[in-house]
Amino acid sequence: MTFHPRENRGPHASRRQFLALGALAAAAGSGALAGCSRRRPAAQAAADQVVLSRPDKPVTLPLHADVPAIKDGLAPEKGGTLKIFNYPEYLSPDVIKAFGEANGVTVEVTTFTTQDEAIAKLRTAGTAFDVYFPTTDIVGKLVAGKLLQPINHSYLPNLTNAWPELQDPFYDKGAQYTVPYTAFTTGVLYRADRVGTIPSNGWDLIWDPAYKGQSYVLDDAREGLSMAMLRAGKTDLNTEDPAVIKAAGAELTKLVDAVNIKIAIGGYQVVAEGAATVHHAWSGDAVSAQSYLPEGVSAEVLGYWFPADRKGPVGTDTIAIPRAAAKPVLAHMFLNHMIDNDVALENFSFTGYQPALSVVTPEKMVADEYVTENLVSSIITPAHYRDGFQELQLSATGDRLWVDEWAKFKAGR
Amino acid sequence: MTVGAPLAPGAPAPQGEPAVATVRPPARRGGRLLWAGLAMPGTAWLLAFLAVPFYGIMAVAFGYRDPLFGSTVPEWNPVYWDPTTFVEAVRSTFAGDLRAVFVRTLVFVVLSLLICIVIGYPIAYYLARHAGRRRGLLLGLILAPWWINYLTRMLAWLSLLQDDGYVNDVLRAVHLPGVQWLSGRPYTVILALVYGYIPFFIVPLYATLDRIDGRLLDASRDLGVGGVRTFLHVTLPLSRPGLITACVVTALPMFGDYYTNSLVSGSPTTTMVGNQIELYLLGGSRQDLGASLVLILSAMLMVLMIYYLISSQRADREARA
Repeated sequence: MTFHPRENRGPHASRRQFLALGALAAAAGSGALAGCSRRRPAAQAAADQVVLSRPDKPVTLPLHADVPAIKDGLAPEKGGTLKIFNYPEYLSPDVIKAFGEANGVTVEVTTFTTQDEAIAKLRTAGTAFDVYFPTTDIVGKLVAGKLLQPINHSYLPNLTNAWPELQDPFYDKGAQYTVPYTAFTTGVLYRADRVGTIPSNGWDLIWDPAYKGQSYVLDDAREGLSMAMLRAGKTDLNTEDPAVIKAAGAELTKLVDAVNIKIAIGGYQVVAEGAATVHHAWSGDAVSAQSYLPEGVSAEVLGYWFPADRKGPVGTDTIAIPRAAAKPVLAHMFLNHMIDNDVALENFSFTGYQPALSVVTPEKMVADEYVTENLVSSIITPAHYRDGFQELQLSATGDRLWVDEWAKFKAGR
Repeated sequence: MTVGAPLAPGAPAPQGEPAVATVRPPARRGGRLLWAGLAMPGTAWLLAFLAVPFYGIMAVAFGYRDPLFGSTVPEWNPVYWDPTTFVEAVRSTFAGDLRAVFVRTLVFVVLSLLICIVIGYPIAYYLARHAGRRRGLLLGLILAPWWINYLTRMLAWLSLLQDDGYVNDVLRAVHLPGVQWLSGRPYTVILALVYGYIPFFIVPLYATLDRIDGRLLDASRDLGVGGVRTFLHVTLPLSRPGLITACVVTALPMFGDYYTNSLVSGSPTTTMVGNQIELYLLGGSRQDLGASLVLILSAMLMVLMIYYLISSQRADREARA
């Protein structure tokens, strides 16, 4: 699986202390459930029963007779609690509150830190969430495992606000199960006041010995190795070729001696505060960095590089409704709420991750002061989405290659 | 797996010690029930929060892959356990990529312990022998920083240790070169470990030093032995059990620590075992490998614990003799 911009993010890093145990508990939990019926299994069905979707190989997800969508024209459920399942800090509290007040319902957010943990919880009987935020790479698995219910578009008039390509996305043709949430790129967040000229291949910034001790790579197997591949001109970020993955790992290892590389995920903070000069980062980090600048420091010290030809990593997120939702009608209304232009922009100003809606243009975001002029490159457009490369689901064997190579880099010599 | 032959509760006392047995008042039935009752919460706690989770880790380490979701599924029935990943982890630990990580972890912990001894022993000694009526206050002051949340303290250090932070300001003020503390330095990690765990070192050591009978020291001096030799031949040997306890109590969490390292370094040159465990457990498809590493680390720490138990038992026996 891929890691995700929101995974491990944040000033609230204290929770990471509990992550390892949590992940283990999650693994144990999912097994306790499965353990009753499964036997160690040569007899088990082949692992790759789910087709891996790619932009050039779009997938229409199967509909299951026993998992119907809700009927048209139902009245929303009254009272009680609408349960949302999301990454921490990935949803504006104001937006949630407004929805709750408008619909007479208490909205409660439960958080997860990795999608694996989320899946483990969704599979546990007795936990019913109404709204869930999956990444695009696992939607296929979720549908095959009957964890999501199809969505009824008659409740989602705002879907037309989304980028046209995401109203009918490759990972879910016809948007049968998901609506788009946010979009992001991966590039280099840097201190414009210290970096003189940007090399034509901006990834070189990370390898530049001039920034020794102040150079950071994202703590994420897929992102880290992908960066090394892109720098070397390899653009298949879903490769399962051991030689390519190994070569990328070797390039990363060179960073240890060359720049004393550090591996972290808090670019928005360390760049803003000045500890880092160049930081492999998500576009959302660049937007958030503006609010982490020390007092009296102008946002002009920040810069975000993404390939000018838009040939860099891009990604989007989704919102879906779990099969076991107790308030499916309200859940549909919440999805519609989140792709309302004004609501989505308000949410953007909290999370730093822009909605994948047509209303967002680089010009408008600068004019409305969501980002300063020098960070306009952190805004992503449908053109970026078309030309960029996505890190998508790998086969189990392929995933292992990536994780093992990354672990090798992290272990040091 | 049996750890040792359990002692049957009603087993006859070994021959040669009957005298001891007759001195003790015969245990009353009610008393035995009382003690069993008092032991219940502890036993239940151990079972629920140590034995069962540990078995869970073994089930993950020897588990299998979920065919649909790709995650590791724990296998609760040992009959079906698959040792492939565990064997791979052991091989990597002793002859592969992980060896460097284990060796580095060991070096970091040993150096941190040495610094703890150099700093902590004199403090504990002073508190026990020379602090007089102020010892309560001083002990409180030593522990005071630990009233503050760990993360808050470490984040404060992060800003102090920045290239243009106060620590470097002080260094430059006394004409020393500034240090890039936070750019992935092993010494920063070691110092951070010392900082994080030294109270757990001082407190048990202080307790032992405090209990040393002052008359023994007086006797030593009366016999014409100087202060240094009294320390070396009387105080130090008598404080050995406390010193070992302090080392064990400090070393165990240090071996598993990954968070201190992520905060103050984040460089591959300082990766410890805990960091790799974290990576695998969060990394999705390799939780079985992460769990295997937990088992290997536990086995190594078990060796340390067994040494500790044996040596403390020996000390007990010597004390009684």
